[in-house]
Amino acid sequence: MLLPRQTRLALFLLSNLFFIPIAFSLVEEQEQFTEELLLKPLPDRKVLSHFHFQSRAPPTASYGHHHRLFPKAIYHLVHKYRIREMELSFTQGRWNYERWGGFDPISSNNAKPPGVELWAVFDVPEHLVDAYWKNLTHTLSGLFCASINFLESSTTYAAPEWGFRPFTGSLRYGSLPREAVCTENLTPWLKLLPCRDKAGLSALLERPSIYKGFYHSQQLHLTSAEFKSAELDSGIILEQTLTVVLQPGTKRTGLAYFQPSWSISSIFGKQITGKCVLAKSSSVFLQIESDAVSELKNLWKENGMSVKSNEMSKNLWSNPYFELSIAPDRVREASSFNSDSSSIFYEFFIQKYSRSESFDLGLTWKSPFVWSCPKAPLHATRFLMGSGNERGSVAITLRTTELNWRLMDADISEETCKLRVDIFQMVPWYVKVYYHTLLVFVDEKPQALIDVVERMHVSPSEDKVSPGLMELALKLPCRLNSAALTIEFSKGFLHIDEYPPDANQGFDIPSAVISFPSFKTRLHFPNDDSVSYLPLLSKLQASTFVCMQERSPVLSYTEVLLVPLTTPDFSMPYNVITITCTVFALYFGSLLNVLRRRVGEEERILKKKAANKKTNRISILLSKFFAKLRGRPWEPPESPVSSLSSPKLLLKVIVVAAVAAGWQYYSSK
Amino acid sequence: MESTATISESPDTFSSFDPNTMRTTKPGLKRLILTFSILISFFLGLPFLLKSVEIYRAPLPFHEMDSIESTHLSFPCKFQVMLLGLDYATETSSKLGFSIQESMKKLTGTSSVCGSCSENYTVSITIDSSETLDDSVKNDHVFDELLKGKLEGSGNVYSVVVVSSDEEIRAVVGRFRHAWIIGRVSEVDLAGMIAEILVKIFVNGGKDDGAIHGEFMPVGADGRVVLSFSLLNANPEHWIYDWDFKNVDEMFLTPLVKALYPIANVSVESQVLYHTPKSYFSYWDDKLESYIFNTKDLPFFVNSNEWHLDTSISAGGRSKILHFVVYVPSADECPLLLQLPNGETSGTNGFISPVIHFALFLIQACYMCIIVLKMPNDFPFRSWYSADVGRCYYMESSKLFERFRKSFQTYNFPSALCLHILKQDLKNIFEVFMGQFRQLFGLKSDSIFMGLSGSYKLLTSESGFADWELDLLSRQHTCFNLGSCATTLGSLSRLVQSLPRMIIMDEIGKEVKFSLEAAKLAHENASLGIYEASAGVSSSFTQAFGLSSRQARVLAEDAFYHPSIMSVSYYSFEHCFAVYSPFFLPVAVHVLLAAVRELRRYKRERAKYLAWKAKANVAAQVQQS
Repeated sequence: MLLPRQTRLALFLLSNLFFIPIAFSLVEEQEQFTEELLLKPLPDRKVLSHFHFQSRAPPTASYGHHHRLFPKAIYHLVHKYRIREMELSFTQGRWNYERWGGFDPISSNNAKPPGVELWAVFDVPEHLVDAYWKNLTHTLSGLFCASINFLESSTTYAAPEWGFRPFTGSLRYGSLPREAVCTENLTPWLKLLPCRDKAGLSALLERPSIYKGFYHSQQLHLTSAEFKSAELDSGIILEQTLTVVLQPGTKRTGLAYFQPSWSISSIFGKQITGKCVLAKSSSVFLQIESDAVSELKNLWKENGMSVKSNEMSKNLWSNPYFELSIAPDRVREASSFNSDSSSIFYEFFIQKYSRSESFDLGLTWKSPFVWSCPKAPLHATRFLMGSGNERGSVAITLRTTELNWRLMDADISEETCKLRVDIFQMVPWYVKVYYHTLLVFVDEKPQALIDVVERMHVSPSEDKVSPGLMELALKLPCRLNSAALTIEFSKGFLHIDEYPPDANQGFDIPSAVISFPSFKTRLHFPNDDSVSYLPLLSKLQASTFVCMQERSPVLSYTEVLLVPLTTPDFSMPYNVITITCTVFALYFGSLLNVLRRRVGEEERILKKKAANKKTNRISILLSKFFAKLRGRPWEPPESPVSSLSSPKLLLKVIVVAAVAAGWQYYSSK
Repeated sequence: MESTATISESPDTFSSFDPNTMRTTKPGLKRLILTFSILISFFLGLPFLLKSVEIYRAPLPFHEMDSIESTHLSFPCKFQVMLLGLDYATETSSKLGFSIQESMKKLTGTSSVCGSCSENYTVSITIDSSETLDDSVKNDHVFDELLKGKLEGSGNVYSVVVVSSDEEIRAVVGRFRHAWIIGRVSEVDLAGMIAEILVKIFVNGGKDDGAIHGEFMPVGADGRVVLSFSLLNANPEHWIYDWDFKNVDEMFLTPLVKALYPIANVSVESQVLYHTPKSYFSYWDDKLESYIFNTKDLPFFVNSNEWHLDTSISAGGRSKILHFVVYVPSADECPLLLQLPNGETSGTNGFISPVIHFALFLIQACYMCIIVLKMPNDFPFRSWYSADVGRCYYMESSKLFERFRKSFQTYNFPSALCLHILKQDLKNIFEVFMGQFRQLFGLKSDSIFMGLSGSYKLLTSESGFADWELDLLSRQHTCFNLGSCATTLGSLSRLVQSLPRMIIMDEIGKEVKFSLEAAKLAHENASLGIYEASAGVSSSFTQAFGLSSRQARVLAEDAFYHPSIMSVSYYSFEHCFAVYSPFFLPVAVHVLLAAVRELRRYKRERAKYLAWKAKANVAAQVQQS
């Protein structure tokens, strides 16, 4: 039976129309887990390793609430607290924006302030957000063995309006700068991975080697579209990242200005023995930064080698300057917006490797090589000014870095060219900031606030209720060298119960967040569609990053400030009580004595006693002294009579001594 | 001083006047009154001081809290016997009724267990000789439904239907609240059988010893139970088993959750864990051709380091979590069998471990169908939904598996096998689970109950629990709840009374009050047999006292675990002493000493004065005379 050609075509189209969406939904309907590792040599002889694990759960409406890969705890967390987006990070050490980069997606997304930082967006009515946040902090502190529950108190978290993320009302932000991060936080984090640290890339995470590093940041990012306000029903995405900056072992191959050669086993003390069998994809990337690539190209040109962009990246894994121990399975080029040349990603598929044939990527430098990393448009530092325990001021300075201005749309030479800088700063209530004292200096010249501040949102702190919050959008001229902000504050007094243990150490002011909304940290992989299957690269590309409607801006955190506050002597209340009570008791007692005193009678008795007493020198002296005090002429005692007073006194002394000795003996028992 | 001097020098005094022992004036009272008024005001101020350091304690009804413990709970039960197609005269029926009650009394015995029916029950007998029955008698399930329709109007009464027929004698207990006996039975036997069905099965739940162990109920203090199912893949590099839990949830667990609603608020969760080896070795047995794990090693089976059967976030603090774990052994130890102490292998391969709350472990033997799928190299998960099934093999030993694996490798299949636990296997697993779950509630899962006067067939319900079993459970549960509420309130009362300086907030008082009220309500409902009012709706009667007893327990527990009890439990007396002693101790010494001295002095001086006065009187008398 033959159908006419057109009918067949129509049928085919029809079937395609019906089947393609079904096939698509089948693919979407599955839980997925991927594991990736990005290694990047840093200009200052260190190595950045960035682990990226992603679990994806399909929407509950179609898939139900039973999962085979997605962690049960996180699923229940999302549903119980109706979380739309959440990020929790545990960080140790400070990201060095000048040496490790400040413009790439990793530094913007994964460089975090020291301690714990938590922000969450809830899908609940606005009056319930605080209650949900409080419950969430308690659950997370149980889940991750950390004191996140300190963020429960309303003095420790804030609701940013626009300065941090574009979620008004339902966003809460809190950070604990002093939280110590260690293995007890990593273990529950690893428990959320299907293979934990038993197999796959996570098996590399040997605790001594990763905690030895210069920077360690462990993150958990949740995005859910489970609730009705989300436009796209994409289920829950759990991203777990671990960013570590490590110093490769001192395997000196040559001179001191050589970059150190390293391999996975020399950094982590372990090799990769195959992928986690549950992972959909498992790959290791080695990134050579764009600046290094262009440097390489220049060197090649000087040496008279032919440079064809394509050819070069293909063969680049073994060249006169460095060599990889394993040939990459794939080489990708990514162009970023702040550089002419593109950075190179060498991709290695881990599924080829097994216990018998383990993966140990090594990078060997053959000749001295120097490059620099992309930096943020302005380098921000924050410090305290002033002295004493009463007042002070906070200063934030922004210095230009040698940045390629071409990535901005506007022409830098024009006067109208403006650079927008957003500053988000949260200050605890006991540091009372006077927002009217805000001063902005551009190139060391004071500026009128109206000229530079585009938008400002301030919510002053309320004593023992809420922290102070400042969100500031600055418009700075493009051709500035430096800008500075100062704001004064006075130090408050805490109630004696509110001081933390070791109050003399000082109090931390959480890091300020400086972002540059006009710059996007985006890498672009031209003609490369397979990137969308690799969550790490697609996150770097920031195109499928659901949570952010706009691409992620360049973001950096400033230092944590340590403010010394006046600390009381904590035993003071008792001392005060004791001394006032004693004074009162003395006063009361003497008053009572005066009231019932009979001066004449006492004197008479005294005289009589004195007459009976044996005269000895001391008593004569004493009576002389008292007489002088009383202002009367001294009369010598009349008739010395022998008395029994001295053996009596002796007896008294002995009794008292015996009682004291007995007390000492029994109390020491 | 001057006055005494003048007195001593006055001319009309006697030469025997001694200023040391006598005085001529009355001693003054000014200072004495002053010091004593200070002392008295000091003492009067003491209650105010104590009041000021007093801590707040909400008044608790201690008497009621203690007395609730002793109240006994008994549920009125109603029984009826229906005689169908039997030509009994009315007098024989009353005789039968009497003999049934007699034998029921004998079976019940003297000891009444909490949760059983009260003593004063009635057995009503109806005779319906007109009724004719068709073949439906032969099919138990059909007859069960038929009887349900027939007995619907009579409320929640336990009934036994006797059907006269020429068949073999058969006694069946249905899924609802009735049983039936078919066949020609003599009157005496019939009375014995009916009494046994009513007492042993309907009232005592088919337990031989008659003792209802209401001590343990797998229900959390807040009336919630979380059933957490985990599938543990010991080594996913060998194979990965997977289950279709969504389906299981709909098929097995949803009816169960619905049926148990009056007793507990049940919620279900599941997870699949990987890389979870057991923590003890098993050995190879040549005769059984399998790996054997001995029951005496069971305490070491659970590997709490690697098995993250965490508590649930969605469950509250006091919910009970029951873990049900299915363990899939790795290829190195497959098939794995559980050996009972008597040397036989366990039929269910499951056991209950009290190590982690209450967990049931099923060791999944490897005698199951393995579906080999055509899978592309890099895409193992496609298989989970993929329908293109290749062939089916039975794995009987790990040696076979090794062969299988080798052939796999030659075909370049991925290293891990992704397998589905088949529906049939899953059904078996969940039947074992249901048995274990019933065991946790203290119910047996046998299909035949052997009594003294015969054997009775028990029909099983789709939800796992028959109506009469649910009645039994809710009676026990009510009893257990009220018992635990009473003990909690009793210990709270003892605790509060033993710590006089403990702060008690108003919330605790309120919770205690409400808990007592709910307990009282549950008592009333239970003793009135409130379920008569809500007849018709199956098992809804249990809610009346089930829920209020649950509420009573929850409130009692809330009161006991109130955070204010935990945190600021004790405002120490030493603290109070340390704050006030620097003032009051020295002042008290001053005041007391002053009072004592003044008193002594006054007495001495008064004695002096009196001595002088006596002398003066004597002198005056002498002068007069």
